[in-house]
Amino acid sequence: MSRAFSFAFSLALALLLQIVELPDSLALARPNWPLLVIGYWALYAPQMPSIVAAWFLGLCCDVLFNAALGQHALALVIAATLIARLRGIYILFPLWQAALALAPIWALYTFLMFWMDGLTHHAAEPALRWLPVLSTTLLWPIFAGVFDGLRIRRARDLNRLRLP
Amino acid sequence: MNTTLSDPSHKPLFPRGPGLGLKFAFFALLSLAFLFTDGHGSDSLAPVRHWTAWAMTPILWVAGFPEAVSGGMDHLRSRESLLAENRALKETQLKQEARLLRLASLEAENQRIRELLASASALSDRVLIAEILATSQDPYRHQIVLNKGERDGVYRGQAIVDAAGVMGQVVQVNATSCVALLITDPDHGIPVEVNRTGLQTIALGRGDGQGLSLPYLPGNADVKVGDLLVSSGLGGRFPAGYPVGEIYELRHAGGESFMEAVAYPRAKLHQGRQALLVWSERVAHSDAEEAPAEVPIDLPARAAAAAGSKPVAKSRPPVVKPAESKPEATKPSDSKPAATTGQTAVKPPAAGPAAAQPANHPGTIAPASAPAIVKPAPAATKPAITTKPPATAPAPASTPTTRP
Repeated sequence: MSRAFSFAFSLALALLLQIVELPDSLALARPNWPLLVIGYWALYAPQMPSIVAAWFLGLCCDVLFNAALGQHALALVIAATLIARLRGIYILFPLWQAALALAPIWALYTFLMFWMDGLTHHAAEPALRWLPVLSTTLLWPIFAGVFDGLRIRRARDLNRLRLP
Repeated sequence: MNTTLSDPSHKPLFPRGPGLGLKFAFFALLSLAFLFTDGHGSDSLAPVRHWTAWAMTPILWVAGFPEAVSGGMDHLRSRESLLAENRALKETQLKQEARLLRLASLEAENQRIRELLASASALSDRVLIAEILATSQDPYRHQIVLNKGERDGVYRGQAIVDAAGVMGQVVQVNATSCVALLITDPDHGIPVEVNRTGLQTIALGRGDGQGLSLPYLPGNADVKVGDLLVSSGLGGRFPAGYPVGEIYELRHAGGESFMEAVAYPRAKLHQGRQALLVWSERVAHSDAEEAPAEVPIDLPARAAAAAGSKPVAKSRPPVVKPAESKPEATKPSDSKPAATTGQTAVKPPAAGPAAAQPANHPGTIAPASAPAIVKPAPAATKPAITTKPPATAPAPASTPTTRP
């Protein structure tokens, strides 16, 4: 129950952070929050319906950014599937190594965006595409660490003595 | 007691439900189907878009919350700053009043000249102030979200201006909000004319957030740095005469047959929280979706029609409204018909070309919403004539006078 709530809440928060206004210079390097959140759930909580969530979240992104319907959805679903499939490898890494290992997936997401923009004839500045990959990679250890800490602390509160 | 991971994070031994690959295939195919449907310009996904946007209204609202709070902080500003602002505003108002004085006379003059041309082009536009909810969430799509939507009569393709110039146009309308594309977006083009020379061209967004590009200028075009670009109204989407940008650089590579000019937009695209939605009058009457496509450049056509059919009676505005014309179109010219028709009604017996004149009457004056009516006068005037069957020359000479 509470896990479902934090799941839904994190998704809504990701959308919110993606559209909240930032100064222009910062907005260029805005990390991709939906991708971070979906990646987190796919990696650390495989029992959650992260692919379904990825699709709906992507659809919301499409509407928010007025992109072709299905563009963000497809890319998010692909990223979520890849992370879920490669979970066995990623879960073994310590946090900072996982951050590096996940960078190709963020890059793939960006490339998919780029490619679909080309298909739907939307000209975009290619240089601006790659900054979020960097910021997402840098943010991953912090985000995953903090979010994991929150969840574990709550789990400990819920069932005492379960965790050392 | 010693399990460090809560039980559900283990893979279930006997998984239920569809597997990863199946789920992936299903959603990927669904997305692809959406992409192709949407990419081919079909409208069948409009409800999906609409309801998703509706469901996300609270998120948009929360995202705009910091701005609302900082707006609330304005109450706590110091007295000095308020006084200074007040003084500045008064000064501005004074200056603008002075300009407005001139505007009134210019507007009257313009009205007279247009009447000479027998064109009833819109002079005053209906506007609505909208708050900007969000701007450019994506650095390479220059869009803003406004807080007015279908409920307020906003339509797709509607022009958006601010105090300084044209900002862009509406590309998506939701129930209570709409998304607008700014003129600097690389997907956007706006027909403009150089104010000084009247040269017509198209200004495309450059996508760097601050520039417009005029790529189709002939090499010998009379364009200078500092020239003001105003919207030309061609295409019917943007009302004519609003400032669009100012040229700051000309690029003419040797051997190229086209010259490129670069302009800064006049509108303050990333400053301020308000924008004006403009209803171009001609669009507001008819169906909003197709009106822009149908509305031709009416000036030459009308002038030609008027010149062809009416060599006389130029000094008086032959402006009479057909009975079924929309009530809000009864603008300044409303007071004239009585005097006008008195004049023109006298004429037919004497003047030769009068035969064409009465038939032409209701057509020429049709409000700007129906410019297509102008050309085939007899056919198009049918609605007006049905009220008075004898459409022959002598009888209609008196028709206008009987009209209220």
